[in-house]
Amino acid sequence: MSKVDILELLREHPFTHALNEEWLQKLASAGSIRVFQAGEFLLREGRVVEAFYLIVSGYASVELYMPERGVLRLQTLGPGDVAGWSWTTPPYKSTFDVRAVDEVTTVALNSERLREIMKEDCALGARILLRLLSVVAQRLNATRLQLVDMYASGGER
Amino acid sequence: MSPQMLPVTEKMAWVAQDNLQPVPFRVVRRRRETNDTWTLFLAPPEGFPYAFLPGQFNMLYVYGVGEVPISISGNPLLPIPVAHTIRRVGAVTHALTSLKVGDIIGVRGPFGRPWPVELAEEKDVVIVAGGIGLAPLRPAIYHLLEHRERFGNVVLLYGARTPSDLLYKRELEQWRGRFDMEVLVTVDRGDERWYGHVGVVTTLFTQAERMFDPEKTVAFICGPEVMIRFTVREFLVRGVQEGDIFVSMERNMKCGQGLCGHCQFGPFFVCKDGPVFSFADVEPLFGLREV
Repeated sequence: MSKVDILELLREHPFTHALNEEWLQKLASAGSIRVFQAGEFLLREGRVVEAFYLIVSGYASVELYMPERGVLRLQTLGPGDVAGWSWTTPPYKSTFDVRAVDEVTTVALNSERLREIMKEDCALGARILLRLLSVVAQRLNATRLQLVDMYASGGER
Repeated sequence: MSPQMLPVTEKMAWVAQDNLQPVPFRVVRRRRETNDTWTLFLAPPEGFPYAFLPGQFNMLYVYGVGEVPISISGNPLLPIPVAHTIRRVGAVTHALTSLKVGDIIGVRGPFGRPWPVELAEEKDVVIVAGGIGLAPLRPAIYHLLEHRERFGNVVLLYGARTPSDLLYKRELEQWRGRFDMEVLVTVDRGDERWYGHVGVVTTLFTQAERMFDPEKTVAFICGPEVMIRFTVREFLVRGVQEGDIFVSMERNMKCGQGLCGHCQFGPFFVCKDGPVFSFADVEPLFGLREV
């Protein structure tokens, strides 16, 4: 896919939707299309996050491997979601595995290049961090609801 | 005209003439849904007319043990035998789920205001169920599918704790196989064998939001109250009106007729004024700890 295609995908993806054209061009310069087959890993726990993935199609699961319990699937990511925010803060290593459930197409933004772009253009950097904060807040809310185990029995009244 | 030939509303009026006295119903079938949930199928005495509307409940009385409100989970067009899906959480539900075919229990009902399915006609309908909350919604789903041409898009979002806690798996598969219904299922905790969605039910809205038009959508929500609160927010933020969101509330229902006051919820009695409420009516009560 060409940069033109990447630009189009960035225009449509909820994470980068409605950014101005100059910013989209900058992001596209750090982007490539990456396709993962079912079972392939987008991110591995403990490894440096080389790309920030904007999921265009397909589904991936955020997983944690626990000895004796095996793989726990913690969350599903789908079209419009993003995978991995560990690229924002040192040591830039993923805290979970993210694995493709079916064929997953992504726009992969090179992490190092993305950090450079954000340093050079602070306004764009702030916008990206704000959008990332919104994603983190949504996931935190969802995680809190998972933690309260809301389906647990309250007993008969 | 025999009672069974009467229109539903007249049949209900007939049944409601004396709904303080339990009628003996016989268990004719039981089906295990999950490790702690069973569906009981109950037959009334010969010739006893029985009808219900989607979202209504019965009071089930295990003689000598106690009485509990349980939603009717079967098809309103085929009301007999009466289906109740029961989760084992306490003494009475333990007794109910231990009943055998042929056992007899007391039944009072049906009670309560139903899902306003007629208000949803010509609109998109989004049903959100959490855990055992799918049981009171299943009759509404049967109704929507039976009269499918009257409604816009029909979307079911269903969340459970784990894959083994999902109710009505066979029907979920059938509904998902239809071309005229969208079914999205999620679990809070997956395992290696689960390739479906993982996350709380509100996380399904990212996928679901393109399946309905907020300006002409009616939402039916049933599940734990915390789930209802967060689900309502997802609808409101997308532009669905409070008056088009309906929720099924659960309180300590005893008499079923608004006489005893056990189920008081602000100015309402859940057994009589609910269990289905317009969110616009109960919004001020949500989040009040004293209610």
